[in-house]
Amino acid sequence: MFTKFEHFAATSLMDTPGNAPPRKNGHLSFERDWEKTAFAVAIALSKQGHYEWEEFRQMLIATIHEWEATHALDDPEWDYYQCWMAALEKLAIAVGVISKAELEAQIEPLLTCKGNSPDV
Amino acid sequence: MPSGYDGFKYGADREIYSAAKVKALESLLIEKGVITGNTVNKILSYFETEMGPFNGAKLVARAWVDPAFKERLIADCNAACAEMDFPEGMSGAEGEHMRIVENTPEVHNIIVCTLCSCYPWPTLGLPPYWFKDPTFRARVVREPRVVLKEFGVELDDTVEVRVWDSSAQIRWWVLPMRPAGTEGMSEAQLASLLTPEAMMGVATVTVNR
Repeated sequence: MFTKFEHFAATSLMDTPGNAPPRKNGHLSFERDWEKTAFAVAIALSKQGHYEWEEFRQMLIATIHEWEATHALDDPEWDYYQCWMAALEKLAIAVGVISKAELEAQIEPLLTCKGNSPDV
Repeated sequence: MPSGYDGFKYGADREIYSAAKVKALESLLIEKGVITGNTVNKILSYFETEMGPFNGAKLVARAWVDPAFKERLIADCNAACAEMDFPEGMSGAEGEHMRIVENTPEVHNIIVCTLCSCYPWPTLGLPPYWFKDPTFRARVVREPRVVLKEFGVELDDTVEVRVWDSSAQIRWWVLPMRPAGTEGMSEAQLASLLTPEAMMGVATVTVNR
């Protein structure tokens, strides 16, 4: 079957139950807009060859393990897309597509100009 | 661990910080020419329009109103898919064969994949988390009636339960029974009643959802 990279990327995450993104009624289930962006950016960077999808998958697994090793299983702070974002950030910096300094410089004005509004 | 990772943040600031960070990352990549302003939307639209249970729901609704189509769907699912106006790749024409089995008052079907992760994604979208759970996979074969009861499907003792194990060659899915009280409904209304669970055989279709 003709398979798009997006399909391959999403289904490969289904292989390990704890690693699979939240789903509902056959669709990916996003709670916040930033989750959608983080999801799509991770796929876009791999699609363009900045890293192999397997590298991202392993980084996500490692990040989730790291969370699990330091938190109780029923910790209400558990958040799949926090782990996703952490994995994406680590990998994007590791492969050099962005630097930590660049990212921080970009975050800073967003935090200051938007004040404490949660609708960043 | 590569540098640049600042640990898991907590609390009220976390949401603001996460949203800002993702926005910063995206805009930085756009500035650098790595992605465009449309990249994120294009990728998301793939998941919204191509990976979901809507194709399966349309096929089942059509089969409910058109007995000849139902026969073709059961005889050759991929060919019936090709009759529909689905996005490219959805018909599963190349190598990935789907087969649908019909629920009747006498026979109830459930799908499972005991070996791997085969799932008829062109019709049902992404699988629910429990589909890959080893316990579910083992129990649905060993005690399908008990599993069905846990999903809320109560079957009469006279109903035969058949379990269909997908493989790389054939991916099974289920044509549920059309519920009573839907006689005047349009195809679109009927399609809206369908869930992936119903087309996996672990739920029945109900009108008052």
